[in-house]
Amino acid sequence: MPTVTVLPDEVAVAAGDGEGILAALYRAGFGYRTGCRRGGCGVCKVDLVSGEVDYPATVAGTVLTAQERATGTCLSCRAVPRGDVVIRLRDERLRCLIPFLRPAPFPRPDPSQRPERKS
Amino acid sequence: MGVIRLGYVHARVTDLEAARRHYGDTLGMRLVHQKPDTLYYKAWDEWDHHSVVLEEGGVGLVKLGYKVERGEDLDRFEQRAQAFGAITERMSKGDNLGVGDGVRIVLPSDHVVELYQEIEVVGTDTGTVNPDPFPRHLVGVGVPRIDHALITAEDPGTVERFFAEVLDFGVSERVVTELDGGETLGSWMFCTNTPHDIAFIKGPNGKLHHFAYYLTDWAEIKRAGELFAMDDVSVDIGPTQHGITRGQTIYFFDPSGNRNEVFSGGYITYPDFPAITWTADQLAKGIFYISRELNERFTSVLT
Ligand code: FES
Ligand SMILES: [Fe+2]
Repeated sequence: MPTVTVLPDEVAVAAGDGEGILAALYRAGFGYRTGCRRGGCGVCKVDLVSGEVDYPATVAGTVLTAQERATGTCLSCRAVPRGDVVIRLRDERLRCLIPFLRPAPFPRPDPSQRPERKS
Repeated sequence: MGVIRLGYVHARVTDLEAARRHYGDTLGMRLVHQKPDTLYYKAWDEWDHHSVVLEEGGVGLVKLGYKVERGEDLDRFEQRAQAFGAITERMSKGDNLGVGDGVRIVLPSDHVVELYQEIEVVGTDTGTVNPDPFPRHLVGVGVPRIDHALITAEDPGTVERFFAEVLDFGVSERVVTELDGGETLGSWMFCTNTPHDIAFIKGPNGKLHHFAYYLTDWAEIKRAGELFAMDDVSVDIGPTQHGITRGQTIYFFDPSGNRNEVFSGGYITYPDFPAITWTADQLAKGIFYISRELNERFTSVLT
């Protein structure tokens, strides 16, 4: 099962067979800013730091351009990890939406170590 | 005389099979025609050939079709649109399946609107002689008809002026930055007796915020929501209540990310309807009357 690791929080969750990045994170109780969750709006874009993803559902070239795909932009609501992947949220922090699923509060990096947020 | 209703919404979808499941099985529209790359749907209480056209490739709006009452209306609206400074072009019978000659207009917001008077009539599913109140064969939500569309425009005030001056639409509601002489941030306009047949909100030109289906009442809205859960439809927000238009609503997304709405209620409008004004500080209440909060998805997702 592929592992999805989210930076900068360094939270790792397991994705099921054919399960998308966003779906795997939701299932584990995490969320971040998303839009349509159907590949149409681009609100869920993240950086793919390492690993590869597939898009089993057709994604409009106007939403995720070939150039973006080639340079590590990942449409997280539609991307299915091919193996372990590491993604980085853009101007956004991972939120724990279902704390009951967590044995302990998920670790936050030291605030002094947080990368500068772009505005 | 004039524009009588929103006749068709022509949108792009990324996947026709997924679109079929959504528009056909979940919403319960009837597929009236298909081409390798295009699906034509109609709802059960509509009599014209189709009201939703889904074309494979991309997302967003291709165009909106508004039906006019008489052939002469086309000439008049074409002249007025040109005088307004809009780009127009004549379309011929057959350019759109089943649709007659017409005028294609590029709005000041870059959206394309087609006016036409003739379209093949296929009849409602219950007919016009001793009809039942609904057809027995409905699946899913069983939407009876399309209702309106909301599009985004850099300058909603100018698009409002276009629809008022060129197409004789009335304003039902308007959101302004301040009461006297403020900028128009959104406008809801009608050509029928409903609160809106088109609406604009400030945003990028050429984009679709949503198009909506009419449902009878709040109970139907709730039932639609239950069906959305059963069919794993991505829901934006709702069921809830609008301040603007006074309608009840669920916003949701089709499988390509285009936003749809089911809408019920609302008041009656007439040509002398006194336009309602909302001030920008009350916009959230105007849109979602109960929560009085705009969710980020609602404000940011456009196709
Ligand atoms: S949330 Fe709209 S494209 Fe992913
Ligand atoms: Fe609407």
